[in-house]
Amino acid sequence: MSRKLTVVLFAMLVLTGAMGLKAVVTAHGNGTAALSANGVPIPPPF
Amino acid sequence: MLSPADWVIWFLATLFEASVVVCSLHRRAFRRYFFLNLYMLFSALVSLGQFRVLIHYGYSSLEYRYFYFYSQALLVISLYFALISLYSLVFHELKVERYVRLGAVLLLAGTALFSYATVNQSSSRMVTHFAFELSQNLYFVGLVLTYVLWGAILKLRETRALLVQVVLSLGVYFSAHAATYAISNLRPDLFFRMGYLLPVIGCLLPLAWAYAIWRVPEEARIEPARLAVAHR
Repeated sequence: MSRKLTVVLFAMLVLTGAMGLKAVVTAHGNGTAALSANGVPIPPPF
Repeated sequence: MLSPADWVIWFLATLFEASVVVCSLHRRAFRRYFFLNLYMLFSALVSLGQFRVLIHYGYSSLEYRYFYFYSQALLVISLYFALISLYSLVFHELKVERYVRLGAVLLLAGTALFSYATVNQSSSRMVTHFAFELSQNLYFVGLVLTYVLWGAILKLRETRALLVQVVLSLGVYFSAHAATYAISNLRPDLFFRMGYLLPVIGCLLPLAWAYAIWRVPEEARIEPARLAVAHR
């Protein structure tokens, strides 16, 4: 049971850290920049 | 309109992605790194699909944009599972695969919920915005997970050279994406001048993996702790 709770806590910590990092990174922008996973040209925004 | 450099980068990226799968098959490592290969195979197929849509409808068409954003979301999800498979490989001896799977599903569900909560307010193109937001958020989740995995590799004194190189290249890939993302938000004018940067980063990951699988034997060992600790 405690292992499962540790996993839940870990997942929450990672999610919080990742979203916090994203918030810091996009603090001076609107967060609409696109990312490209596989070298494909990024299309113009909608 | 795409420049010749765009086409070359795109072609090279697809070639490198296919070469990862070919190298894995040749070195009989396809099953061991199944999710990594699945991601690369999927990525190469998506590239071909995007090429077809681009030729048929054009670069500025809605079709290309929709295809791009949905396929990117699917690609990032498959990259996420590739990263989780690396966790399974690192923690294999601890017999905690069940907990790794549970954590992966919880984290993916949490990220999806967070993304939905972010785009919930937008009325138009909500599904597209959700796919876009989910792929962005998963990049940052992947970045944090990769650094945590690197910490685990150091702590557990993992010595498999191939695994270490794959994780390190993934760390560089996610870090470069995060840095580019930060620049694009801080200085959009500067970002448009270095438009080739993201596709080039997308090229380098399959190249690094193909090189690692081709050149590094499965039994090769390395001491990652030596990379992290500076001896005086």
